Amino acid sequence: MTYHPLIAFFTEQGVPVQTVLLLLMLPVVATLVAFFRQVIGIKAFGIYTPSLITFALLAFDPNGLKYGIAIFVSVILVGMVTRFILKRFRLLYLPRVAITLSIVSLAILLILVIGGMYQRTGLASVSIFPLLIMITLAEKFVATQIEKGSRAAFILATETLVISVIGYFLVSWQTLTVLILEYPWVILSTFVINFSLGKWTGLRITEYFRFRKVTRHL
Amino acid sequence: MLEFFKKSQCLLGMNARNLEYIRPNNRKRGMKIADNKLLCKRILKKNNLGISTLIAKIENYEELDSFDFSTLPDSFALKPNRGFGGEGIIVVYARKKPARQTSGGNGGGAWVKADGTTISIDDLKNHIRNIIDGSFSLSSVPDIAFFEERLKLLKLFKPYTYKGIPDIRIIIFNRVPVMAMLRLPTRASNGKANLQQGAIGVGIDLATGTTTTAILGKGHLIEYVPGTRLALSGIKIPYWKNILRMSIDAQSVSHLGFLGADIAIDRDRGPVILELNARPGLSIQLANLSGLKERLKRISGLKIKTTERGMRVGMNLFGGEIEEEIEELSGKRVIGSIEKVKLIGKDDKEIEVEAKIDTGADSTSIDISLAKELGFENVLNTFESKVAGRDLLKELSKKEREELFFTVPDLADTFLVRSSHGISYRPVILISITIDGLSFPAKVSCIDRSRLNYPVIIGRKHLKKFLIDVNK
Repeated sequence: MTYHPLIAFFTEQGVPVQTVLLLLMLPVVATLVAFFRQVIGIKAFGIYTPSLITFALLAFDPNGLKYGIAIFVSVILVGMVTRFILKRFRLLYLPRVAITLSIVSLAILLILVIGGMYQRTGLASVSIFPLLIMITLAEKFVATQIEKGSRAAFILATETLVISVIGYFLVSWQTLTVLILEYPWVILSTFVINFSLGKWTGLRITEYFRFRKVTRHL
Repeated sequence: MLEFFKKSQCLLGMNARNLEYIRPNNRKRGMKIADNKLLCKRILKKNNLGISTLIAKIENYEELDSFDFSTLPDSFALKPNRGFGGEGIIVVYARKKPARQTSGGNGGGAWVKADGTTISIDDLKNHIRNIIDGSFSLSSVPDIAFFEERLKLLKLFKPYTYKGIPDIRIIIFNRVPVMAMLRLPTRASNGKANLQQGAIGVGIDLATGTTTTAILGKGHLIEYVPGTRLALSGIKIPYWKNILRMSIDAQSVSHLGFLGADIAIDRDRGPVILELNARPGLSIQLANLSGLKERLKRISGLKIKTTERGMRVGMNLFGGEIEEEIEELSGKRVIGSIEKVKLIGKDDKEIEVEAKIDTGADSTSIDISLAKELGFENVLNTFESKVAGRDLLKELSKKEREELFFTVPDLADTFLVRSSHGISYRPVILISITIDGLSFPAKVSCIDRSRLNYPVIIGRKHLKKFLIDVNK
């Protein structure tokens, strides 16, 4: 693979090519999230969480999807159960989130140990940071539960997972990697795309569905 | 398919709402008012707009400690200042009777909630602490708790409502009410008038304040209150014009160009403003089965200076569909109980007057002075001179009577009136009547109605082509 002179220069300065690639991928993932929100209407937990989850999934490679989704689902499930238990105590926000985070991390630890017992060490050998990213998802989830209710939080979590998985496939798509390493300037096109997304006033695809009864009636 | 997308252009989506309506029209100042219930109350009150009265507010722990709970009335609502989605609100209906000294012992105070459970002063204090700590406010910032007067449910809404109080959401843009819906709390929404939580949203015809179509929760179309045979359409909302006026005034004082006003109706005090929303939701389109964007576009360029004018524009542009629908279905016109009518007499003499539409009367009659104006003076005078004061029924035979009447010019018929004075004849003339654009010839009797409120009553004989809406 031939690198663009700029990328070659970066790597000569000692920046690992993988880091350069991931940093250049971030605008792409962010644009993907923005597109999903504005045009399709899939909300997810803001833009930060799905982007991070995307990269966390990548970090779980080679079994990124399998382990990543498993951890994601565990975090959400444990978060939901904890909320259910803590609800009656009427605790203040931060202590409540602290308890949730603690329980989630203990649960993850348990999962790693159980995985190890069944000779599935692939999960345990993963670096700690993607795990931590996944665990912080719990805070976002709890906050949403409080503001919008469990159902909404569950839907948003599912949407986050969907976007992250699509982002995962996009980032691990060989053609895109080659394109960015050979022509890094294509990244600038995300600005153009985001600018037009920022001015987009059309209906979101989910809204066509949501208001279908009105449309039929008009 | 193309048709579908074309029709969808009428709908307002999130993107357009945020970019084209909220961003340019709702500046920071207005947003601040909308997000702060106490500030909002103060501003509305200063401008003489109805609100539920503030009883007391508690800003911090010290105030809570020194607060005298015995000063609270028998019923009240306790709310967080920056709460959202109806979270953290406690409503009590009555003071619990101190049969025995209850726990707590500080003055013996407890209240009864909507579901019949009691709540003690300690429970209230605990809840207030949670409010002050920000458990119910957006992003958990410290908050203020306040007590306000409890609104009483209007009798009319009682059968439609599960606990709670229904409210009316009105979207106002450019001083024009654009769309409205009535929100009814249900069991699923736990007494909250919040569509996201499963309340019922009922569309409202802006001209008449009558409900039209309805949705349950996020978009399930319904016709009846679930589990009953109570129709949701055709509910006539009282104080409708007042409500529209209030919402328009609320927009001018709050500086929110694109406003969703929430108004409830109290049994004793009439309409009161509950809340102002700077980011009104879009489900109102579903409840009304109508698009907001198209409506907003129609009024965007208008220069509207007064409340009254804004109300008129809204009522004219975004209402009247129910009537049109009924008219279409029945082929009959819908008229009110008092209607402007045009009378056309001899030589095309026209008079426009207010007439009473009287389904209790068989035939139509007009005042003598009107008949004279319509060119029948001659007829009436001749008739009077020949008939007045005589008991024709006894004096003359049928044939003689007919001959007598025949000599009066332009007399179409006669009308026999039985009263305490015996039997008398009234002259009947042939004129043309126009009601709501529909003209027809009519034989009308002439009677002295100068001491009555309306110079004309239209009777059943001439109402066959109309339906009467007594609310109109």
